[in-house]
Amino acid sequence: MKERLHDKSNAQQTQDPIYQVRNVSVAFDMDRGTSRVLDDIDLDIERGEILGVVGESGSGKSMFADSLLNAVVSPGQLGGEVIYNTEDGQSVDVTELTDEELRKFRWQEASMVFQGAQDSFNPTRKIRTHFVETLDAHDADIEDGMDRARELLSDLYLEPDQVLNSYPHELSGGMKQRTLIALSMLLDPEVIVMDEPTAALDLLMQQSIVRLIREIKGKYDVTIIFITHDLPLLAELADRLAVMYAFEFVEIGLTDGILEEPSHPYTRALLNSTPNIFAPVEDMTAIEGSAPDPVNVPTGCSYHPRCPMATDACVESDPGYYETNANHGVKCHYWEDVDNAIPLQVTADETRQVDVPAYGPVAMGTDRTPVLTLDDAEVHFESSQGLFAEPDAVRAVDGISLDIYENEVIALIGESGCGKTTLGKTAIGLQRPTGGSVSFRGQDIWDAKDGHGDVEIPHEAIRQSLQIIHQDPGSAINPNRTVRHTLELPLKHYNDELDMGDRQARILGMLETVGMTPPEDYADRYPHQLSGGEKQRVTLIRALLMEPDLILADEAISALDVSLRVEMMDLMLDLQEIFDTAFLFISHDFSNARYITEKSGGRIGVMYLGEIVEIGTVDEIINNPKHPYTKSLVWATPDLDETGENEDVPLRKIDIPDARNPPSGCRFHTRCPEARETCARKKPVLVGDGGNTHEVSCFRDVPNHEYWDSPELMNDEPSDETPTEK
Amino acid sequence: MSHSDGEPTPFERVAERETSRTDYYREILDRNVVAPLRILISDTRGLFGIGSILFFVFLGTVGVWLTNQPESTQYILLPPFQDAAHPLGTGRYGNDVLLQLIHSTPFMLQMIAGGAVYNITMAVIVGTFAGYKGGRIDEFLMTIVDMIIAVPALPLVIVLAVIFEPTNPIVVGIVITLPSWAGLSRALRSEVLSVRTHSYIEASRTMGLPTASILRHEIIPNLMPYIMINFVNAARRVIFASVGLYFLGVLPTSGIMNWGVIMNTAYETGSLYTLDTAHWIILPMIMVVWLSYGLIMFGQAADKVYNPRLRARHATTMTQETARTEEAES
Repeated sequence: MKERLHDKSNAQQTQDPIYQVRNVSVAFDMDRGTSRVLDDIDLDIERGEILGVVGESGSGKSMFADSLLNAVVSPGQLGGEVIYNTEDGQSVDVTELTDEELRKFRWQEASMVFQGAQDSFNPTRKIRTHFVETLDAHDADIEDGMDRARELLSDLYLEPDQVLNSYPHELSGGMKQRTLIALSMLLDPEVIVMDEPTAALDLLMQQSIVRLIREIKGKYDVTIIFITHDLPLLAELADRLAVMYAFEFVEIGLTDGILEEPSHPYTRALLNSTPNIFAPVEDMTAIEGSAPDPVNVPTGCSYHPRCPMATDACVESDPGYYETNANHGVKCHYWEDVDNAIPLQVTADETRQVDVPAYGPVAMGTDRTPVLTLDDAEVHFESSQGLFAEPDAVRAVDGISLDIYENEVIALIGESGCGKTTLGKTAIGLQRPTGGSVSFRGQDIWDAKDGHGDVEIPHEAIRQSLQIIHQDPGSAINPNRTVRHTLELPLKHYNDELDMGDRQARILGMLETVGMTPPEDYADRYPHQLSGGEKQRVTLIRALLMEPDLILADEAISALDVSLRVEMMDLMLDLQEIFDTAFLFISHDFSNARYITEKSGGRIGVMYLGEIVEIGTVDEIINNPKHPYTKSLVWATPDLDETGENEDVPLRKIDIPDARNPPSGCRFHTRCPEARETCARKKPVLVGDGGNTHEVSCFRDVPNHEYWDSPELMNDEPSDETPTEK
Repeated sequence: MSHSDGEPTPFERVAERETSRTDYYREILDRNVVAPLRILISDTRGLFGIGSILFFVFLGTVGVWLTNQPESTQYILLPPFQDAAHPLGTGRYGNDVLLQLIHSTPFMLQMIAGGAVYNITMAVIVGTFAGYKGGRIDEFLMTIVDMIIAVPALPLVIVLAVIFEPTNPIVVGIVITLPSWAGLSRALRSEVLSVRTHSYIEASRTMGLPTASILRHEIIPNLMPYIMINFVNAARRVIFASVGLYFLGVLPTSGIMNWGVIMNTAYETGSLYTLDTAHWIILPMIMVVWLSYGLIMFGQAADKVYNPRLRARHATTMTQETARTEEAES
């Protein structure tokens, strides 16, 4: 074992640190003790690097960001030193600055990009005003500043004048986030701290922004601290990684070093639990236990309660940084043995066979009647602008036909605004289609509700059979009622024959089944006493208590921590096995969709602007995507073993067209790198290739189509890639 | 749903032993009565508020039962704190002021309760239903509400009071605040609009629960802090309106014992202008202010009762383990 380091900062050798963080702690005084949300942190940040900070929610990531700018909100107390070195060799301790100095320091030396771009702009003011005010507040020259703003915006692939003249609500989430990045760089700061800047965005947009950040960094020569919970995202972006656990950095090193030879058990567990698009599903495992409470961090190594390698030494002494090599420090006594103790999941295996589904057979086949049938379903929302204006129709769902069979798991993926949630809600009868029909076992849902024609299955029974699990566990349970009370209501309503005792037994039994033990204790809790994962389990139970045939899981795991997602999906599949339920799983994340469908032998449907553009089994979609849009989604899914870093974005435009005015012909043609003139005129239809489950709506799938003879589409933004295959 | 493998799934599970009904009700009592009361009295404002309300209820029940009706005596306009027989003095007709105040309390309390309950019930039913249902129903109900808001309240009440000459305290309470529920129901509707965006409302709808049940279990509990404050405000409005209207002599005063009536009599006999008789008019004022202040304090503290975090902490049936986790989560 190498000598233990005393000067911890040496663990990361830096020549020209822009930041030297020494013994930084943030503490909150609470009734029940001191809450240390940042625990004695030491870190050097090199000038001009991209440092990735990764950690689960509640690990202290944002507090670290705040402390770099001395922006910890009261009553939090910032202790230690945050030394900032200017380019001309001066050092200042950020924690000692006066308010006036701080005001100058922020924006001019270091600026911050927050998570919710939505909330960072004043909705009543134009974007231009935000830029001008920022310049004004720092006594900068407005004209020069605005020129710089225009340049920044166009570097971020935005139309400067159009953006500047817009109100925030007129921009999409991705555009707002990019505008915010431009705003943060307006006063030419040396450092930009980005706190989960892409968390609220779609994969394609995330990837595009990550690429833009690299470009921008090269051009404007800034240091970037990128904070996220998403490890694969950093794999492509960061020069160095710092892994946070329990309010301190447990491992710091070069990105490649950490990804290839992670030396801390937590880092390895985190890597193993990250859903990945290519790794075998059996190798993904969740991390046992939960993150510690900031008031009561375990003694010794804070990870020991969850660590499979923990010994008495870990309980007794807090490991300092061990140096695995010059650029890699790790806080673990046993880092040398970690390779054997916690093997890394097998990474991408190109020749992998299709796995036999671990759950239930593929619910395909023509002899079975589907549970739910969507036939040419359309949902158009009309938004009238004024009394005499022509109403704008948003075609959220535009002519979709889909069969969902018993016990089948169908994952719908697509960017936000593509209509996947509307489609899901239409499928379970929460949204009335404006065209086409939705039938449950052959009975039209809305006819049953309105009492039209012969109603074979009463609406009440249909209502019971189609249930929902929502995205945000925080808002999915009534905060004013205990778990028991929440779960009692559906039982009372549908199971009159059960007496009070039976209801209680059933609720407790379900709680036990989903692993919430002791159930008596959990039953009496209010939602605020549950973690996000536990809340989501309660909503799952609530849906299952109705004995449904189809559950719509609307981004049901997106709000959970990465390490919990695999666990939750496994639970959903286990319960599906017991309760015979089909799932319609909506996700914007390919790796999650792939995980749940592959394990259950389900299908993945890809949606774009209200249409399904490709649908098929996991193998067909992931390994053999045919539609250019599916290809770009597969490309955008972060991959830990990303090698081709400088691959171009396989899109001609990164922003989605306005859904109120979708492009003619194939809707994807404005962004499609393969688009030809025909695509702008003609609309492809979803077709299978003969008895197969794989259906795609693209002319490229049709041999001898006029597409192949039509000229390439030349738009305002020419494509970097030219289609070569023929 | 068929499971032939013998082992019952959690779905088919029934109770192995009877849950004792006593335990169940004890728990309900603990959660719904004892814990809220504990929260109330753990707050100084709550203690004062609930103390004041209990004091007036005591005055209006036991107090009335213990004391005689105020009658004319030979002592005219006796100042307070002079005579042990008439501790708060007497009025111009020799009536004991203390007895008058005590015997006015039942009328006041009934009137307050009648007015406040009427207002809140109307506002909650119309406001939550309109807000939750939306669409045509919402437009229709809100049009009516807007029309009621547009009617000037005071002239309407004066006209109604003159026409009906109400004497029953509950009817008086309702008449004098007849149109004021409308504004409140509009405010409640806006609150519902924000609550109903929560996914659990949609989940309940997906489960096919009836509207009344969703309103009662999912929406109204979340509005309770707001409803409580407005209940207290409605109660205060009844007090002030009644005192004002009785003082002005708009409402029929004959045979009615009421703080407003006492002030009216005192005013009419000129006690506003001499210091000797000031107690006759000031003492009922103190009662009015005290009761309404107590109500305000009660309303502020009641806000906390509907905080699930506090309710969980004060319930004894919750295990220590749970309480600790709860602290950790917060």
